[in-house]
Amino acid sequence: MWTYDRKLQYPVKIKTPNHNLASIIISQLGGPDGELAASMRYLNQRYSMPYGEVTGILTDVGTEELAHLEMVGAILYQLTRDLSPDEIAGTPFATYFVDHTVGVYPVSASGQKARVTYDNIIRLCDDPDVLDPIRYLREREIVHYQRFGDALRIATDHMNEKNFYAINPSYDQ
Amino acid sequence: MTNRRFAPAFSGNDQASLTRRLQAIDFAIQDTVLYLDAYPDDADALDYYRSLIEARAGLLAARSKEMPLTVYDNTGTDWDWVKAPWPWQPEAN
Repeated sequence: MWTYDRKLQYPVKIKTPNHNLASIIISQLGGPDGELAASMRYLNQRYSMPYGEVTGILTDVGTEELAHLEMVGAILYQLTRDLSPDEIAGTPFATYFVDHTVGVYPVSASGQKARVTYDNIIRLCDDPDVLDPIRYLREREIVHYQRFGDALRIATDHMNEKNFYAINPSYDQ
Repeated sequence: MTNRRFAPAFSGNDQASLTRRLQAIDFAIQDTVLYLDAYPDDADALDYYRSLIEARAGLLAARSKEMPLTVYDNTGTDWDWVKAPWPWQPEAN
């Protein structure tokens, strides 16, 4: 069960639309290492997690990723608002609007991880209104990485010393 | 994490200011929650969490009067939930 908070986790207020920038950022929405994939991965990994601390981290980070999904959506919305079909035609962003039923962005995005992808966006972006929330999202990826480091340590500490592997080898005997 | 106290960086009682103040304290809560998930026995962190939740209560009530935060907060006479601006619109930020 989730409840929607009618606020962004961090403000997004972009003055100048820029569809070229939007075409770079859209991978962080539905791409293989985007916010949606991250959220679904963590929320689905929870169920069989035997350690409460790690279940909590997966639940709360997975939920925060949904807030980041909305922030990326807000960035894309504000970067592409008020564009006419003529303005969209012939731009890199055109296929996303024209052909969105094929799900272009989930299959065309790169295999880079979320933080690295944000690094690349920061290199390509010169609008401070966009850089500010993107930098925030990048920082959150770093915090999540710290907590998952804790989660790995917790899981490792719980492992039976006699079972060197992360799964119990006796299961398949 | 000892003797940490939340220092509000924003003020104001209009809808945008209340939203910004709520974003700030909810960010502090979120980061503390993730920390407590990994370190549930940290008494200082738990104290900090309690102080944040206490500070949030008044802020939530004030913001909900301007625009409900969740569907459980639309306690006025109108259904404000569907009114603009929505969170992703520049006017709300």
